[in-house]
Amino acid sequence: MDSDKKTTTASAPAVARDVTVLNRYGIHARPAALLVKAATGFACEILLEKNGVKVNAKSIMGLLTLEGNHGAKLKIHATGPDAAAAVAALADLFERKFFED
Amino acid sequence: MWRIAESPRITVADFFEAGRQALQLDWAANPDAAVGREITEVALNRPGLALAGFMRYFAYRRIQVLGLAEMTYLGSLPAAERIQRLKTLAHVPGIVMSRGRRLPGYFQKVFADLRVPVMRTHLVTGHFMNAGTVLMQNLTSPRIRVPGTMIEIDGVGVLLEGEPGIGKSEIALALIKRGHSLVADDTTVLTRDSTGTIQGSAVPITREHMEIRGLGIIHVPGLFGVASMRDGMRLDLIIRMQKAAVGADDIDRTGLDAQFRDVLGVPVPLIAVPVAAGRDLTNVVEVAALNQRMKQMGRDAARELDEKLKVALARKD
Repeated sequence: MDSDKKTTTASAPAVARDVTVLNRYGIHARPAALLVKAATGFACEILLEKNGVKVNAKSIMGLLTLEGNHGAKLKIHATGPDAAAAVAALADLFERKFFED
Repeated sequence: MWRIAESPRITVADFFEAGRQALQLDWAANPDAAVGREITEVALNRPGLALAGFMRYFAYRRIQVLGLAEMTYLGSLPAAERIQRLKTLAHVPGIVMSRGRRLPGYFQKVFADLRVPVMRTHLVTGHFMNAGTVLMQNLTSPRIRVPGTMIEIDGVGVLLEGEPGIGKSEIALALIKRGHSLVADDTTVLTRDSTGTIQGSAVPITREHMEIRGLGIIHVPGLFGVASMRDGMRLDLIIRMQKAAVGADDIDRTGLDAQFRDVLGVPVPLIAVPVAAGRDLTNVVEVAALNQRMKQMGRDAARELDEKLKVALARKD
């Protein structure tokens, strides 16, 4: 969306993007599983942040502890060679409301 | 690697909720005023001197506790005078009356205007001062949320960490089946309590659940009984699971070179365990916990053998 930030170092580019939880029920088990499935397809480290708390996007339980309710503002952080593609893939799931609603 | 810790701010409402059972609290006046009302100084104060008129040092940022002494003193004053004195408490975050006292009529009038939340505890003042201070310090103690699964093994709190998919939850599951207890799966909250020890606990919403690849989400106490869970546990040992090939340098083959991780300013023993096909890691983790317990009891197997070797080798000189 608006604040794509890129700080590229020689080895590991870092990408971050703000997203909003758009589906009505928020990040419950099914959306969490979709996010994990998408995230594990990338080699880079991916974190999801809410109110300063960061969790690993490759862990279902981690994502559930975020309690990402409808309307919550989150930030995706990715570090690694395929960081940009990973952020795009995860942000896409948020925008598609995890295929719900 | 771990993000910066934070010390939560608490409001009078938070304090009340946490102490409702532990401190036997209920509301005497103005519960609405407690919401969003921050406690900026984490301690309790008995305002005897302030009530007697000495205002130069008055810890008004603290919760004020009115015990038998304060109430008897106020009661001894003429009506107009005690209302005046009570108004010195206008800017405190909140007030607690001990011994389950009912609010006197003049109190109600004063605090209806002042909108200061007033609680009542059924404990005696001394006990409330002790228990309340500990509770408040624990609520505001520095905390950090870390990736890792925590398990209690024969009284030893162990945090398993390692990349997602390396098998933390599977080992935890095997340990639960052997009679040990889960503290937190995947994400663990670590706090430094008022005595300076590190305590681990789960994020409340996912506390009783685990995710096992291939099975999905399971309910731990439902499958294994209430003994399979622990609400909180002291952190004694961190075990970092890592793929066998990576960073083989920091694998300690003797156990002589103890490593520590700084957790909220407290050094916690850390061992790195290589993960490779065919290794029974459940066993390794279980024995690591027992070994840690033996060290805490003052016996260090690696050091003992080393001393024995040195003595034997010296004889051969």
